[in-house]
Amino acid sequence: MRRFDCLRDVAPLLADEIVVTNNGGASTEWAAVGRPDSHLQVKTLGLCSSIGLGLALALPHRTVIVLDGDGSLLMNLSTLPTIARQRPSNLVHVVFDNGVYEASGGTATQTARDGAAAGVDLGAMARAAGIAAVHAVDELADFTARFAASLRGGGPTFIHARVEASRERVPPVAVDEVENKYRLVRFIERTEGIAILTRPEPASQAHRS
Amino acid sequence: MTTDEPTDVELILAGIHEAGITLVASLPDINLVDLIGRLENDDRLVHVPVSREEEGIGIAAGAYLGGGMPAVLMQNAGLLNTCNAITTTALQFEIPMLLLVFYAGHLGDTAFMRLGEVTEPVLRALGIRTFIPVDAAAARSLIPQATMLSRQAMRPVAILLTKAVLRRFAA
Repeated sequence: MRRFDCLRDVAPLLADEIVVTNNGGASTEWAAVGRPDSHLQVKTLGLCSSIGLGLALALPHRTVIVLDGDGSLLMNLSTLPTIARQRPSNLVHVVFDNGVYEASGGTATQTARDGAAAGVDLGAMARAAGIAAVHAVDELADFTARFAASLRGGGPTFIHARVEASRERVPPVAVDEVENKYRLVRFIERTEGIAILTRPEPASQAHRS
Repeated sequence: MTTDEPTDVELILAGIHEAGITLVASLPDINLVDLIGRLENDDRLVHVPVSREEEGIGIAAGAYLGGGMPAVLMQNAGLLNTCNAITTTALQFEIPMLLLVFYAGHLGDTAFMRLGEVTEPVLRALGIRTFIPVDAAAARSLIPQATMLSRQAMRPVAILLTKAVLRRFAA
């Protein structure tokens, strides 16, 4: 199973869900197949699931999808019990596990099942952390079905997708982080009907003229 | 003190409420335990206990992007843990958040002196404006002001909380 095939197959299932990607292949590949305005391309290794959790808690009626990787999740394992404790029903945490640090040269991660790596099972770790809905998939049709079902709530959902190490050739992304932020915030403002950038300050702090 | 005077923790909580803080991610220092206990039972905001402070920066960033106003409550050892997340998420994406940091290794403390020495230089290196209130009453008015500054500047602002601000009282 290839990550790009997974992303391409589920992209048409989404409407106004928010998608948060790790700083790896999922980021540029999702940019090639998903809608741009609901997409946040995280740049801190490991932090995408935490940012997704913050979004899910701030917008509990809106589905938030995190597209994570094995190297990224391994750097922020404490995110799993934190998500389990908060129990956001609207959070879908997908981990594409290819067993390597693909974006930084292909060195094995500790999920690799051959060689000297630990061969750790991230789905088992998520279950042990207390996340109730954990699904392990390694067939494309199964991935798509699990992903589609997770959009109906009942989360937090953790989808452990074992994929081969392969990176699709996709166009470079043309926005920087600040533009990415404004694009997502304006999408949320528009679709939620709320003010974020122009949110009024508390009355006690307003300048008196 | 008389029983009807607000405690230091109550003053700080009042500042957090007045600032319009909607979410606090926290990891305890012994001097923060009373405040964290109050936050856990506070129905005016979401409290997210974390196990490593970098998580807190990410959760805070997501909360801001979703329309909230976040704070991260931690000790200064935890602040050092957050330096990459602050740099490559909060600063790089220009995301406001209030950093409420217990200042270990400062006046009145008996340990963590090296930590105390590097804290303000690290915040300066990150370009994060930092305020040190003299007592809890000053912190109460500073918290809403620093929160507004963070929102207007589109970056984190830090308040360092010393032992003079978080005096511990018997519950």
